Amino acid sequence: MTKILVVDDEIDVCDFVKHFFEERNFRTFTALSGEEALRILKKEKPDIILLDIRMQEMDGIETLKRIRKIDKDVKVIMVTAVDDQDKMKICRTLGASKYVTKPLVLEELEKVVSSHVKKDENA
Amino acid sequence: MHKGFNRTQGEPKGWFKVQQWLVDKLNDTEGALIPMGSENMQKWPKAEKDYQLFLENASRLMIRFRKPEHLIKMIVRIIDDQLGITHTAILLYKEQKNAFVLIDSKGEGGAKIPIGFIRMTFENPLINIFNERKNYIISENGVLAYEHIASLLKNKESLAKHEELASLIELVLRQMDLLKANLCIPLYSKKDLIGVLILGDKVSKEKFTRQEIGFFMTLANDAAMAISNAQLIQNLQGRVDEIKDLYIREHRIFIHTAIALATAIDARDPYTHGHTERVMEYCFAAADELEGIPEVLAYKNFKETLHISTLLHDVGKIGIPDTILNKNGKLMKKEFEKIKEHPVIGAAILAPIKELGDVAREIKYHQERYDGKGYPEGLKGGEIPLIARIIAVCDAFDAIVTDRPYRQRRTPETAIQIIRQQSGTQFDPLTVSAFLLAYEKGKILSNNKKH
Repeated sequence: MTKILVVDDEIDVCDFVKHFFEERNFRTFTALSGEEALRILKKEKPDIILLDIRMQEMDGIETLKRIRKIDKDVKVIMVTAVDDQDKMKICRTLGASKYVTKPLVLEELEKVVSSHVKKDENA
Repeated sequence: MHKGFNRTQGEPKGWFKVQQWLVDKLNDTEGALIPMGSENMQKWPKAEKDYQLFLENASRLMIRFRKPEHLIKMIVRIIDDQLGITHTAILLYKEQKNAFVLIDSKGEGGAKIPIGFIRMTFENPLINIFNERKNYIISENGVLAYEHIASLLKNKESLAKHEELASLIELVLRQMDLLKANLCIPLYSKKDLIGVLILGDKVSKEKFTRQEIGFFMTLANDAAMAISNAQLIQNLQGRVDEIKDLYIREHRIFIHTAIALATAIDARDPYTHGHTERVMEYCFAAADELEGIPEVLAYKNFKETLHISTLLHDVGKIGIPDTILNKNGKLMKKEFEKIKEHPVIGAAILAPIKELGDVAREIKYHQERYDGKGYPEGLKGGEIPLIARIIAVCDAFDAIVTDRPYRQRRTPETAIQIIRQQSGTQFDPLTVSAFLLAYEKGKILSNNKKH
């Protein structure tokens, strides 16, 4: 079962996305902060991380940097607001593989996530 | 309205919350909400009469909101508060995104969809079905009801013949699963789909009755109308703001054109360098003392007319030859006659600009004297417009305290003395007193020190 970690400081988003992926047979973990995400990363070793770029305290970019120090290979998909698209350049150099823009189309989210799963399986 | 529906019944606790929220909104300057009286609303209606009451109260509330977003929040809130449904949400069409975006969502933990998190394009089967009004197969009344659609799938025989329909039904069901929707009700304004009202299950786990579905359709209709009205108002407000901005920009260009022109006039005459700007400052200082008098109030826009008139009062000097304008020594009679043409030339230059009719008049008469011995027409006293009378005093003051080709400058004290002496003859006494007041307050002197 593919493990996905959802990182967002809004509890509603975490709950909703968790429910969404659990229905699609993912093992889903949620983190309300960058710190929490790092802890779960170490413990559960997820295959994919869905990471919100805008968070209080430690933001998505900082979290991504710290993730890379722990795990060079985990797939990271950034969730950005439309205004933040320029930040994706930084994220790409830090090895984020894809981004989805908020508000997002759920089908797109599913497609992006599942395409990464397939890549993983082929590899 | 029906008096009987206003009776208080049951506990109004839920309603108080809504009311409190409305009061909070009232204090929020952005809310743009019209104050309301105290109306009562009951809990989850049971009889037909109660639905009627709920709808009446709801639509009465709806028209109080001017911001579509606030209106939607109110609708979601009263449904959530009054009707005992696991979750309530409204999707609204956003033109900039060309998609439907979740504006508000309320409900029990886990059931709630995070606001601003999802968007639905026209390709989304749920949106598509409402937008293209394909729903007659899936739902005869225009509403998507989960149980009804799920029951269609059981009819495998007839579905086998209509593969497309079968897959559409499955897609729609999947969307409703995603949204945890039991009922989806379209919001149409005229013929366009502007939003979707999404309702979860009843907390009581009971099914929605036909009557209740009808009730939500009426509510959705009212909501759609109120939302599209609010959007219309918002768009109009946007247009008004745009036009205002445009006006401000054009006006700024216009004022700067006038300034450029005034600078051009000043530049020709080394002796009067800075004259226009100083006269303008004196005029504003003197005019401040006249604030509120009937003659000032009679102007359509006194400040602006004053501003442009003072800026351009010497624009007619463009028509005076340099040899006369910059002559060293006293002017011959003929030369002086030529100089005297500048107010008329100035007025003629501005004549084609219809909007500056007032300004042209002030410029034309700024060399008139109170006793009627001025030029070009020898107007007297109150025949001379006020701004022209103000310019006359300030113009003279600056002329006295600056060097001229034919004489040296004199002190401000001397200038003040001359002006005082000429009050009632050359100058309008009212204007002179305003000027003297400004002078005594240091407003003229401080400007004077600059040069």
